[in-house]
Amino acid sequence: MFAGGKMKAGIVVIGGGPAGLAASLKASEYTDVMLLERDELGGILQQCIHDGFGNFIFGKMLTGPEYAEHFIERARDAGIDIRVGTTVLQVEGKKIVASGSDGILEIETKAIVLAMGCRERSRCQILIPGTRPAGIYTAGTAQRLINVEGVMPGRKVVILGSGDVGLMMARRLTLEGAEVEGVYEIMPKPGGLIRNVVQCLHDYNIPLHLCHTVVDIKGKKRLEGVVVAKVNEAMKPIKGTERFIPCDCLILAVGLIPENELSRQIGVAIDSRTQGPIVDERMETSVEGVFACGNVVHVHDLVDDVTIAGEIAGENAGKYAIGEFERIRKGKVIAGENVRYVVPQILRGMEDVTSYLRVEKEMENVKLIVSGKKTFEKKYRIVRPAEMVKVKVNADILTSNEVRIDVKS
Amino acid sequence: MNDKKIRKRIEKIAKKISKDIMVRVENRVVYLEGRTNSWEDYLKLGILAGKIKDVKGVVNNIDYPGKKKMIRKQGGKEKVGEADVVIIGAGVVGCAIARELSKYEINVIIIEKAEDVACGVTKANNAMVHTGIGEKMGTLKQRLCVEGHKMYERLCEELNVPYEKCGMWIVLTKDSLKFKIPSFLANFIAKRIIPFIILRRGKKLGIPMKVVKRKELLKEEPNVTKDALVAVYSPTYGITSPYLLTIALAENAIENGAKIMLNTEVVDVMVKDSRIKGVVTTKGIIEAKYVINAAGLYADEIAEMAGAREYTIHPKKGATLIFDKEYGNYINHSMSLLRLPRTEHYKGGGVMLTVDGNIQWGPTISEVEDKEDTSVTADEIEEIFSMFSPLLPHFPRAVIAYFSGVRAATFTEDFFIEASEKVKGFIHVAGIQSPGLTAAPAIAKMVVNILEKEIPLEKKTNFNPYRKKPVVFRELSIEEKKKMIEKNPAYGKIVCRCEHVTEGEIIDAIHGKIPALNIDAIKRRTRAGMGRCHGSFCLPKVAKILSREAGIPLEKVLKDGEGSRLFIGKAKCLLEEK
Ligand SMILES: Cc1cc2nc3c(=O)[nH]c(=O)nc-3n(C[C@H](O)[C@H](O)[C@H](O)COP(=O)(O)OP(=O)(O)OC[C@H]3O[C@@H](n4cnc5c(N)ncnc54)[C@H](O)[C@@H]3O)c2cc1C
Ligand SMILES: Cc1cc2nc3c(=O)[nH]c(=O)nc-3n(C[C@H](O)[C@H](O)[C@H](O)COP(=O)(O)OP(=O)(O)OC[C@H]3O[C@@H](n4cnc5c(N)ncnc54)[C@H](O)[C@@H]3O)c2cc1C
Repeated sequence: MFAGGKMKAGIVVIGGGPAGLAASLKASEYTDVMLLERDELGGILQQCIHDGFGNFIFGKMLTGPEYAEHFIERARDAGIDIRVGTTVLQVEGKKIVASGSDGILEIETKAIVLAMGCRERSRCQILIPGTRPAGIYTAGTAQRLINVEGVMPGRKVVILGSGDVGLMMARRLTLEGAEVEGVYEIMPKPGGLIRNVVQCLHDYNIPLHLCHTVVDIKGKKRLEGVVVAKVNEAMKPIKGTERFIPCDCLILAVGLIPENELSRQIGVAIDSRTQGPIVDERMETSVEGVFACGNVVHVHDLVDDVTIAGEIAGENAGKYAIGEFERIRKGKVIAGENVRYVVPQILRGMEDVTSYLRVEKEMENVKLIVSGKKTFEKKYRIVRPAEMVKVKVNADILTSNEVRIDVKS
Repeated sequence: MNDKKIRKRIEKIAKKISKDIMVRVENRVVYLEGRTNSWEDYLKLGILAGKIKDVKGVVNNIDYPGKKKMIRKQGGKEKVGEADVVIIGAGVVGCAIARELSKYEINVIIIEKAEDVACGVTKANNAMVHTGIGEKMGTLKQRLCVEGHKMYERLCEELNVPYEKCGMWIVLTKDSLKFKIPSFLANFIAKRIIPFIILRRGKKLGIPMKVVKRKELLKEEPNVTKDALVAVYSPTYGITSPYLLTIALAENAIENGAKIMLNTEVVDVMVKDSRIKGVVTTKGIIEAKYVINAAGLYADEIAEMAGAREYTIHPKKGATLIFDKEYGNYINHSMSLLRLPRTEHYKGGGVMLTVDGNIQWGPTISEVEDKEDTSVTADEIEEIFSMFSPLLPHFPRAVIAYFSGVRAATFTEDFFIEASEKVKGFIHVAGIQSPGLTAAPAIAKMVVNILEKEIPLEKKTNFNPYRKKPVVFRELSIEEKKKMIEKNPAYGKIVCRCEHVTEGEIIDAIHGKIPALNIDAIKRRTRAGMGRCHGSFCLPKVAKILSREAGIPLEKVLKDGEGSRLFIGKAKCLLEEK
């Protein structure tokens, strides 16, 4: 049934994680949808076997695969043309070239939804010196190795980075019988959710070393140890604080980067702070008829928000495909004081929206101020870079030129 | 200078460093014995001795506290093979020699201790096919570099290996000359004198070059520093893939009758009545009439085993940074920044294009004690940035990988290629530091000429110089891709997302003429894991394919030969232990 060749589709969704699944489902209410996934449906969720998903949407905690299954089933029923094991190689305008064991697909479409997720930053991207032995893995890879492939990456482990993925892996490895020597974090604060610091480290007596980093990697064939050191305010290692830790495994949880090679190919404008496409509240990118959602836009903490963004993108791509979408591109959002980024970066000011933002630094008892036609304030007891801030903004505050968001005491 | 004079000279220098040094000179080869207090002094003496005129080789046996002793592994006692010629080392040099010898009616065995070919220095260099302009005039390495360069295009065509004449700029800037002279004078010399000296040198060597004015340079290379004064352009500078070339050389040699033994380490060289009888390896004895020592960093130890040592290798490390392909078009040709005089912190290297589309910066150069020291230090990373940022001040620092290679330098700093006078049948191919990759085809020819004087070499009538190109999916057109997938659906399954490597290509590598049986061997052949995510996506997939195709349990898959297991066992293995 699935043969390669030239074909047409109303909408093509690239990536079958939670973002792509939600987008496909919504879009299929308008027109025919083709969903292209290089691996299997569910994306990163398939390897997250802990329960921490869907509290918001389903009102209960599910495991990653359970959460994904809800959407996969519905996508199958909705008659979406799903192609797994199919990698998009190239996009030119609205022409997509993908490759799978069925052959090469050349698809012409009216609208595209980008939902490629993100990838992990590697050891070289953060310039850790040393040798290049076996035993160094990014956290996501380690998670996949244990949970999906059924192999253990190491016996005695050092984890660099205290983002959620790093914390999660500290617990997972401990439960698997490995010794997690410690989690090292270059920043003065943990990078992940507080709930995860407690549940993944404290409950298992795993030490968290803040203001620390790995400065050397030792071992020729298999990792023999790492050297850690304290860092100063400029995040440079302090001489004399080096400590050698024998270990056979180093797990890197040093950040995620939205995967936007294809977006760049189409000419989608990228925000240098999120490293994802600049979108408006309908998740349209700078290229007409190209929408984006999920981790490809910015890295999310919670899958529920990914699903919501996917639905918005899917709905508008659907409308676009059937000619019921008027492109209006104006209205800038300015990330003001203590705001690292805001998504959407463009607000047309025509409807109520939810803005997502991350702060630069941790602050207590702050006001979030949205200034547009009018100003709107919301109080927060604490804001942390690790936790995305969500704020609902009513249309009557917005203007069509410029809205500014500040977070100050 | 005769032996006695050389000895006197060295003794004079040695006295200043340590009283416990004994110097012996025999046929212009210097033998240093005794003790010093440190590795630095050991090194200093070797280097000084090597610089003395007419010295042919320096064997530095000086001891110092903490010196690593050569440990010889146990060899097998059974005879496991015989050949006319045994080549020790399957780097680019050993494999080029094997391929050249496979043109003749002669039995050849290549012996390599690693699990794959090209695992030594050959996998960790800058892949440049030099013209020879940068080498010291009158040296053997310059002669063979110039000759090798001329042979490359045809060789790579026959073997279906990537080769591009990417061209090279030698750029001179306001800061190129660090002599104590007024800046107007320095500028004048940089603009009006040095380029023409380089040009004249090129003419002598038959290397085409031209002087390019600042304006023209900046038009052609808009990202180059505005401080540039002038440049010399060399259009025939080339780049290749050192490991693909070596694999192809080895495969072609095998197709033409040569044999290869991997995972086999030479632990002794058998000599009787000053004649080669064969080698003892970890797998057993291989009888042979001729032994070619192409063991790279270990050439001195192999020569020692044969009792024919005329040199000591002092390892010199070089680190290189590799950048994201996204910025592969930042420059149009490779380039270097000329700096004079060359000092410890003011040395060569450059910004180089690669056949894979990534740009490389490097290499550094530093003496190291350990031949196996392939680490990259924080200082080296910083040094590379500071060396080349003046050339491309706004280049994005999107590093995706870095590595170090170790140069197998002799103290005389030249190639040492000749038949041993002490042991008949033992042929030295030592000290093959840069530009050894470029020179390899010419070295191979030279070795054949040496052998020809000893034994009659008869040309094979059925030698096939061509090697079929493996499938490289990402290079195919859409129509070609379609056809490939129709024939074999595995060519449609993308395994490495960054480099678009398919399952089909990985399977081909695993079942190749020289089977790729670990992750790095697959990586070198296919580029799976060489892109920007550096394997975090494809590693589990490649490991699974390897496990399935080669029948290795997943938990036993190796990254890079013995001792490099990726996983410690099945999930739950630690819980079961407890
Ligand atoms: C380790 C970890 C733990 C987490 N824990 C929680 C938690 O407890 N609770 C919670 O709510 N959230 C959690 N999250 C966050 C949430 O799960 C993610 O933000 C969400 O999965 C992102 O969805 P996505 O669809 O944007 O991306 P992904 O899930 O990454 O999906 C992207 C998909 O696109 C495909 N793709 C990419 N490029 C191509 C191409 N060229 N062609 C075809 N297909 C392509 C990929 O194969 C992938 O399947 C966690 C995330 C991680 C990494
Ligand atoms: C940083 C750097 C950059 C360079 N850049 C360039 C460049 O751009 N252009 C250029 O032309 N040259 C360059 N070179 C030089 C080039 O890489 C080398 O000259 C060349 O690779 C040498 O090849 P080889 O076969 O002699 O050595 P190797 O590749 O080291 O091969 C020797 C082999 O012998 C094997 N061996 C050793 N001992 C034993 C034993 N006892 N038994 C069995 N096997 C054994 C080893 O495992 C190894 O595989 C560079 C070198 C460095 C370090």
